[in-house]
Amino acid sequence: MASLKDKYAIVGVGHSALGKVPELSDYGLQVMAVKAALDDAGLKKTDVDAVITHSHLLGAVRVHHQSLSERLGIDTAFGVSLSAGGATSCLMVQVAAAAIEAGFCKTVLCVHGDKGATRKTPTRGDGGGEFGPEYGLYGAAGAHAFGLTRHMHEYGTTHDHMGAIAVACRKHAQLNPVAAMQGDMTLEDYHNSRWIVWPFHLFDCCLRSDGAAAVIVTSAERAKDMKQKPVYVMGMGQTNNSRGYIWGDHMTELGAKESGAQAFAMAGLKPKDIDTAQIYDCFTYILMATLEDYGFCKKGEGGPFVSGGRIELGGELPTNTSGGMLSECYIEGMLQIVEGVRQLRGECGPRQVQDAETAIISGNGGNAVCHSTLILRN
Amino acid sequence: MNDYAKPIPTPSEDSGPYWEATKSHELRLQRCLACGAFRFPPGEVCPECTSEDYEWKTVSGKGRVFSFVIYHRAYHPGFKEELPYVVAVIELDEGPRMLSNVTGCKPEEVRCDMPVEVTFEDITDEMTLPKFRPA
Repeated sequence: MASLKDKYAIVGVGHSALGKVPELSDYGLQVMAVKAALDDAGLKKTDVDAVITHSHLLGAVRVHHQSLSERLGIDTAFGVSLSAGGATSCLMVQVAAAAIEAGFCKTVLCVHGDKGATRKTPTRGDGGGEFGPEYGLYGAAGAHAFGLTRHMHEYGTTHDHMGAIAVACRKHAQLNPVAAMQGDMTLEDYHNSRWIVWPFHLFDCCLRSDGAAAVIVTSAERAKDMKQKPVYVMGMGQTNNSRGYIWGDHMTELGAKESGAQAFAMAGLKPKDIDTAQIYDCFTYILMATLEDYGFCKKGEGGPFVSGGRIELGGELPTNTSGGMLSECYIEGMLQIVEGVRQLRGECGPRQVQDAETAIISGNGGNAVCHSTLILRN
Repeated sequence: MNDYAKPIPTPSEDSGPYWEATKSHELRLQRCLACGAFRFPPGEVCPECTSEDYEWKTVSGKGRVFSFVIYHRAYHPGFKEELPYVVAVIELDEGPRMLSNVTGCKPEEVRCDMPVEVTFEDITDEMTLPKFRPA
């Protein structure tokens, strides 16, 4: 894989209105995101010859890339709908690079997003099944919370540590006008927020949002002549702890360890070379565990690492500078890529990381088992 | 027991014998005849060696709490009366881990690595759930 270093670039990013957007359908949000990304890239829809979409959320629709392309009014050389849960966003960029490398296509649109906040029809029922619902295990919060309980037991991690993450994301959101959560949050507010599933407070859990985002990937060669300064893909990695979070040490050691190692090896970088991190923060704990597994600190030292402002703007590793999914908007990791690209273009105004040249982006999903990593540079 | 308000498991092609055993208050898992590994959840092949040869074998019912969470909100109305309740990952002495509830102590008394043993709750005439209590 090392040969793919710097061969592909992100040349356009965009998103729809975010937060609560009751007037748009799922595909309406996606089409608006695509238009924004095409404008950003200075491309026409016919300049795109491939569409990759995230397949698992839109109710009964089976072939999402076709449905989206139909609405966009384009035929494409390559198209696929895929899902690795929250790992899908970074994975779509990787599959885009692989598809171009294989000669299937030249310029790829990667899209995801839906009506997480105002959907009228429920997406999940509670009928049937075994080995979970009968014991009252519901929702992603429960499945992810096991990891924090075990991490606390093994390493002495505390709620103060998780609170530091929530507060950092909120501070960043206050510098981002499109972020949903603009109000102040203190560590005390974090501790006072209600329990969702112990050990997760409400403020350990990401938002539910309407919104979609799109990312356009093409070859470094083509990227040179485009409107935006290219953001190059230096490193890629992906790993699936597919035996489940319940197995082995998967609760406390995410797929991030192997995925991150692959990405760093391809990029030829070490954690100290990274200027900003945009980490999949479905829950505070997953952000902390990912930073550990990426090697920003030792396993078990994530709690102290995220404390004391280290992951805030001005700190050693400014992380989730848009507010992340905890305080900006939840589009299953798509906005992590958008923010990483914007930071590397220097477009982030009051939340700009000074002289940012490298960014690491993560996706983590399927109840904390699938992981994907991108390392980007300008 | 027709007023049982919580979800009742739907046995699959693989798990029928498991739920038959719990009905007679036995915790019975598949044990691979090729490599000797116990497995859970039930499945057609051994996840360690992919052998299709297995027996159903009663296990000790003893283990430890590997991790746990405490629900403070009912995401299903049937759990409203029990709040707060514990959902735990139990590691059996024989190796496999399974989800269950920890009963017989207060939620705040549950700890990782706490020894537990199986107990059975008949929820309908046809269905019994294995749960775990401090040992």
